[in-house]
Amino acid sequence: MQPKIHVFVKQIIQETPSVKRFVLVSKEGADLPAFSAGSHVTTFLNTAAGTLERHYSLVQAPAITDHYEIAVQLHAQSQGGSAYWHHQVSEGTELFISYPKNHFSLSFRAKHHVFYAAGIGITPFLSMMAELVAQGRSFELHYAAKSREMCAFYETLQKTYRDSCHLYLSADPDSSRMRPDGMRQQRIGTHVYFCGPETMVNQFQEAARSYGYPQQSIHFELFAPPAPMLREPFLVELWQSKRTISVGSDQSLLAALLAAGIKSPYSCRVGRCGTCAVEVLSGEVAHYDSVLSEKERAAQDVMMTCVSRAVHNKLVLSL
Amino acid sequence: MSDQLSRFPYPFNSDTYRYSNNSVLLDPPIAIEVTPEYLEEMTLKRSLLANHPNRCYQSLPHTIPAQWEIASLVLHHLHETYPEDFSLTKEGNSWTFSNHKLNETQQFVFGDVSTLPWEPLDFVGRHVQEDLILMGQRDGDLFLDAGQLCFPANWSLEFNLGMNFVEIHSPIPGFANGNLDEKIRNFIMKLEVGQPWVRRNWSLNAGKRLDASLETFHQWGQMRKQVTAENAGETVYLRVEVQKLFRLPRSHAVLFTIHSYLITLHELAQNRAYLEQLYHVLVELPAFIAEYKGMKLYKQQVIQYLEYELQKERG
Ligand code: HEM
Ligand code: FES
Repeated sequence: MQPKIHVFVKQIIQETPSVKRFVLVSKEGADLPAFSAGSHVTTFLNTAAGTLERHYSLVQAPAITDHYEIAVQLHAQSQGGSAYWHHQVSEGTELFISYPKNHFSLSFRAKHHVFYAAGIGITPFLSMMAELVAQGRSFELHYAAKSREMCAFYETLQKTYRDSCHLYLSADPDSSRMRPDGMRQQRIGTHVYFCGPETMVNQFQEAARSYGYPQQSIHFELFAPPAPMLREPFLVELWQSKRTISVGSDQSLLAALLAAGIKSPYSCRVGRCGTCAVEVLSGEVAHYDSVLSEKERAAQDVMMTCVSRAVHNKLVLSL
Repeated sequence: MSDQLSRFPYPFNSDTYRYSNNSVLLDPPIAIEVTPEYLEEMTLKRSLLANHPNRCYQSLPHTIPAQWEIASLVLHHLHETYPEDFSLTKEGNSWTFSNHKLNETQQFVFGDVSTLPWEPLDFVGRHVQEDLILMGQRDGDLFLDAGQLCFPANWSLEFNLGMNFVEIHSPIPGFANGNLDEKIRNFIMKLEVGQPWVRRNWSLNAGKRLDASLETFHQWGQMRKQVTAENAGETVYLRVEVQKLFRLPRSHAVLFTIHSYLITLHELAQNRAYLEQLYHVLVELPAFIAEYKGMKLYKQQVIQYLEYELQKERG
């Protein structure tokens, strides 16, 4: 459904024993779309088990558009994405990627930017730092890795950002640990950004809040692979209309409602405009829209009928 | 069906109308539409820009990079969609744009404002029928940072410059109910590169007037008093604004384009389904929406006219 860009792998660089950097170039030979600092792309990998969607930050400076670069860490318990990138992809491999998307953009009003990265969480900060240097704005990076060998982009960081970069090597007894308390000393107007494993991001977020950082000054990014979509048929009971209708496996709930003559407003039919929202009275919803926040999803009292479905066999709607 | 009617972006898909996010994905993903009214509307646009520069163009200083992105998008769309009428050649950063409809050629260095007679947004706006608005996305909000606006439906660019999305929409009654204003803002903030959106906004206009600016209300507002059931077919126009939303990849800002179309009720009534549906929508329309859309003074006259047309056709 989303438009895709056909690319091939021009070059593979082994950054560390477990991180490879991939240089991607357009198959059509054209420039790739420009992007903003902090952007990522979704890669679509055709594996025997179906298409795997994975998100990776673009790691080059945003001014460069003749190629994209992503960095992939091989995970021990890989569900296929990183293992595929590391073991199946070679120079010349063709694949499709999304247009760049940005869910982790730099603050415009921040007086100073402080980045905290753990491991491969360094990747979104590379384009952000390049942008801040180009704009002459102030920042610092705190980056934790196991050892020098395991520290991706070590050379680049040393060469380009030596004065703004603080490294913490956890396997090195002489090196200090990366801790949240440094955020205490920052001046007013500082924005903080976290990227790394969920535990690290949560720890730093909580600390920042406890030090009095306003919520708008705290930024973070967690990459989770999208959950595979449920496709089972299910039933919906319509409370006001006193009817029960069934939704087929290749039919949306919205389509079933309209087919049953229920006047249900809608517009985009792709889970993004929010117009088809209906109140859910009971049952568990599998949400596939991009309208609701995490909190609204968890509340389980509203759903977008054009894409979302029942987890079990039945939902009760207020319609 | 007349050519004008078959091209008209008819706005309704139901017999009732309420404020909602009525956006859909834009296919094909092209920002610009050139219609047979091009020359007429460009003449009007150019004269408004010459006589009322501050009313028609505003920008904040930090918007120049995003303006270049808009210029590039608009010029590419013109050239790729209408290659006979518009050409664009590039040698490195040195660009030449020719508008064969207006017999104009402009050479400039892309990225260097000193090589253009106007700011980039103000320049490309002079070649398209669309109004072009730049919404900056910063720190979790959207701000009106720049715009070229010649054909407003009763609002002022100068007044709205720098406002955020919710402030801009605050005059609309009921628009904040259920946080619809914030939901639509959040929807726009999630726009993605390569997936533009489109929506159709509608209202009625008494008199043929594309530039219904707030600043000149005293001139065109009077027409509302002159509408009768007898003359409504010729004096009242359905006004539809085709509004498109594009994510600008480099600046992460949003381009909002507005192409305004006018058609007389008489012309529209040639399509029986349109006639019936507009009638139902107007009869059912809540007073607060009718009032906001400025049709309170003549809505009854229009309904009478439509009723008469419906009966006439029933014979
Ligand atoms: C992001 C770019 C947008 C800008 C700059 C913008 C600007 C405006 C302005 C200036 C008005 C007139 C307000 C007044 O009375 O002073 C207006 C009205 C309105 N806008 Fe937007 N708008 C934008 C996007 C949208 C979107 C995406 C929607 C989606 C539903 C929307 C829905 C409306 C509605 C329903 C009205 C009332 C129109 C009427 O009843 O005729 N706007 N907008
Ligand atoms: S119709 Fe747009 S979210 Fe469902």
